[in-house]
Amino acid sequence: MKITYSIVLAITLLCVSCNKEPSLQKYFVENTDNNNFLALDISPSILNIAKDSLSEDQHTALASFDKINILAFKLTEENKEQYEIENTKVNQILKDEKYQQLMKFSTGASAASVSFIGDDDHIDEFILYTNRKENGFAIIRVLGNDMNANNIMSLMQIVQKSNVDMEQLKPLQQLMK
Amino acid sequence: MKSIFLKNSKKLLLALAFLLLSTPFFAQSAFDKFEGQDDITALIVNRKMFELMSKVKVDATDKEAQRYMNLIKKLDNLRVFSTASSKATIDLKLTADKYVKSVGLEELMRVNDSGKNIKILVKSGSSDSQIKELLMFIEGSGKTNQTVLMSLTGDFDLNEISILTDKMKIPGGEELKKASKNNR
Repeated sequence: MKITYSIVLAITLLCVSCNKEPSLQKYFVENTDNNNFLALDISPSILNIAKDSLSEDQHTALASFDKINILAFKLTEENKEQYEIENTKVNQILKDEKYQQLMKFSTGASAASVSFIGDDDHIDEFILYTNRKENGFAIIRVLGNDMNANNIMSLMQIVQKSNVDMEQLKPLQQLMK
Repeated sequence: MKSIFLKNSKKLLLALAFLLLSTPFFAQSAFDKFEGQDDITALIVNRKMFELMSKVKVDATDKEAQRYMNLIKKLDNLRVFSTASSKATIDLKLTADKYVKSVGLEELMRVNDSGKNIKILVKSGSSDSQIKELLMFIEGSGKTNQTVLMSLTGDFDLNEISILTDKMKIPGGEELKKASKNNR
């Protein structure tokens, strides 16, 4: 009797916690095919860099970095209502305490924030969120394994000396229009 | 059986109540309301950011960078609000004044420089130069009509702050530098 009770309780708790925590991952999957959204995956190949030209630090940095997922809502005359709804949803998701916020910036017309998942030396994901009243909003997820502050610095260096493959970024131009 | 369940649910309730009660304390600050307001530009840097930044390896021979890293470890929160609107300025000023009184900040210095009215207030820690919180209010008038409210919390030495003003472009950096020298 007691065991059944606890099992039932455990399952209910599990279900409740699942429902209560809509993750960004889920949000991305749900909206990739939505017409209001623009989804984009960027692989490290975008850097277009010769592996042997890297220092050891830069090598580890590149290895810790997996890919970048971008999901953007393009605001038009017709989807204003939808924008409000989706924007609120995303903000709600980001309020979850597993997204540790690093910094945020806001003016009346735009806002941006940076958060991460994991702990200081083992960062699994960076999340950049930004919105502009006239353009819409975008979520950028930088995914990796055990990223840390040093890796990020090294990665910056790599980006600076790489020949970024603009082809992968083409869909983004659509947003800027 | 029933009593165990009751006892557990009581604990759960207590935990829930505690959770609900404690969240506002973490999230709320006197200045949170200024975020996202139309005329106000807000920048918030959280402790996690300083923590992460302090983990970046720096050249051991670079004294300046070392000092900078040392300071960053001691910082908790940085909040900067700025506005050019006179209505928002009044709001910022009122809130700041109220906050200064409620927290008990002491005035460190006051400067009137080419139409800018600058006030720096601090909350001291164990010693005079040890600071728990630094609040700066720059009230602009005339041409430089930009009002800035900056709050920096942590546990740092006033003399260390000049490194920060050198490395980051913080409004009122010059005045802060003077303040830390006066104190020496």
